[in-house]
Amino acid sequence: MSGDPLSDFGRPERAAFAAVADHLIPAAHDMPSAGEVINDTRLRFVLRSRPDLVEPLRAALRPELGEDPAQRITRLQADEPDRLAALQLAVVGGYYTDAHVRELIGYPGQEARPVDAGRYPEYLAEGLTDQVAARGPIWRDPATGRRVETS
Amino acid sequence: MATEPADVLIIGAGATGGVVARRLSEAGYRVVCLEQGDWHDKEEYRGNKLDWELTMRKQWSTSPNVRGLPEDYPIDETDAEISPLMFSGVGGSMLIFAGAWPRMLPSDFRVRSLDGVADDWPLTYEELRPFYERTDREFGVSAMAGDPAYPAGGEDPPLPPLPIGPGGLKVARAHARLGWHWWPEPNSILSVPYDGRRPCVQRGTCQQGCNEGAKASTDLTHWPKAIAAGARLITGARVRRLETNDAGLVTGATWLDRDGNEHFEPARVTVLAANAIGSARLLLLSDSAAHPDGLANASGLVGKRLMMHPFANVGGLFEENLESWQGQFGCSIESFEFYETDERRGFVRGAKWGLAPTFGPINAALPSRAGTQVWGPEHHLHVRSHLGHGANWGLFGEDLPDPANRVTLSKTMTDSSGIPVPEIHYRVSDNSRRLLDFHIQRASESLLEAGAHAVEVDSLMRYSGWHLLGTARMGDDPQTSVLNRWNRAHDVPNLYVVDGSSFVTSGGVNPTSTIVALALRAADHMIETRFDQEVPA
Repeated sequence: MSGDPLSDFGRPERAAFAAVADHLIPAAHDMPSAGEVINDTRLRFVLRSRPDLVEPLRAALRPELGEDPAQRITRLQADEPDRLAALQLAVVGGYYTDAHVRELIGYPGQEARPVDAGRYPEYLAEGLTDQVAARGPIWRDPATGRRVETS
Repeated sequence: MATEPADVLIIGAGATGGVVARRLSEAGYRVVCLEQGDWHDKEEYRGNKLDWELTMRKQWSTSPNVRGLPEDYPIDETDAEISPLMFSGVGGSMLIFAGAWPRMLPSDFRVRSLDGVADDWPLTYEELRPFYERTDREFGVSAMAGDPAYPAGGEDPPLPPLPIGPGGLKVARAHARLGWHWWPEPNSILSVPYDGRRPCVQRGTCQQGCNEGAKASTDLTHWPKAIAAGARLITGARVRRLETNDAGLVTGATWLDRDGNEHFEPARVTVLAANAIGSARLLLLSDSAAHPDGLANASGLVGKRLMMHPFANVGGLFEENLESWQGQFGCSIESFEFYETDERRGFVRGAKWGLAPTFGPINAALPSRAGTQVWGPEHHLHVRSHLGHGANWGLFGEDLPDPANRVTLSKTMTDSSGIPVPEIHYRVSDNSRRLLDFHIQRASESLLEAGAHAVEVDSLMRYSGWHLLGTARMGDDPQTSVLNRWNRAHDVPNLYVVDGSSFVTSGGVNPTSTIVALALRAADHMIETRFDQEVPA
């Protein structure tokens, strides 16, 4: 995407976004609100990652839907569910890609944790697969139509 | 334009296209492949990037209709309860598949004989076993020998199993208490370095491309070898139709490049490897005066009997943080406890269960597949209880073939090249519904026994059509099947279809290992019968 995706959003749309963000994810339980977290940098990140969201987001934030975020959501839910989904994704995407929020929820991101194939698995140490094997075959023999008998 | 016909022209560079291309080119065949997508590099994949959970919902969605990329063709799925999923590119849908690699079971090949429904396959598990073993080596499969869900004997898996993770261990212990089957899942994901590829790092993003190249896909495992052996792979090549001569043989394919220029690729033998929707579409598009209902369709079965494995998800929530966003997506453990038919349950056949990771915070925060959404102050508690605290049983049920579930050509929609798109007609059968309901109950018991304090159920996932099967079934009778037992068209002796189209029944397992084993078997057969092969003059 060329240019700044936020250039499509004026002050009323940004205010509406912040109101909806705070309504969906308010400050509570030692967590900040989404309106606090999602600054221009975060919203720009979301829209650069997902340029297809710009249009439905702008529509979901249009002033005609009023100032009350709950009412805006109710109207979108009833008549424009795809635009509401775009709005929710923009809020959630902006919030949970913030480094501080991720730290607070104990999520370090998808990490590279190399497999140690030489490590003896606990399930073997506990004999869990041995127990399964000891119960015998469970596949159905096409020749007899029955489960295979343990020999 | 090519002038010298290829010995074999392959349509599609995915799982089976790669297997057939490598086998035949290494045997000295002059192979050409037309692929509508492109090569993808590991650096493109978003799993190790901050935007992973954003882009998985659009650019890296498993649905071509959601992605809408130039190389994708749209699918009209308005008459379908499940959305088909696929990917166009070298490596095909393997780029976005999970990597689970179970084989079908012996009973899967004898459904008519054993359960009085559907049809038997014209081959057995034992006939296919050597090909399973060879493709396991080609792709690099990590698994544990000795699973009593399968007949004993044969080769051990080439690589040790992947870790089962803390969630897998909890459920394994629960199954020990219940006396239920479980086993480490076989995956085509490397547990150790193999064939020049790096092993898995448990990032849990397999379905949006593997950044390590640890998950098998033919762009890594087969195409480099095929190309080194002389195969020619043309990307950005969208096939419009197969052409035939007066003798009823395929002479090659007409295709369009990215700029819309038309080409013809002549061939002695043509192999369709474009998945059960794409191949059926091409057969139907290749109608002619001699084949008014589409190519290879004297039986009238081309496009019919589409099977997609209705899928349910049963998620357990645990008090402990299991860090369940990590781990191979191809599944940690599996269970075949309720796989075989028990008529007392009120349905035939069964389902395999696979335990999978649970994605990251955006997935935990957004409305769930089952429609649950939590906003307001409680949102934070909801995310804390879900993120990393889940273990999900994915349930694939046997999907019995039904001629009404089918692929047709749209009369109103075309792709960007003006070619009619496939239209999917698909309903979940009563047997499937009863089957899934039973398995949801049992899987819930499994997770509760494992210590879950809550279980959340998605009883039918719409975006779950990963397994595309059955639209050109194989069989011995040309009146009731499209392909013979070697994947060759009954009506067209120089045409093979090697993808999941050939499936007679679906089984209840992830099908890729069976699809590629059948493709390798078909390629071997081409080589063995090369001197008897009819080709156009």
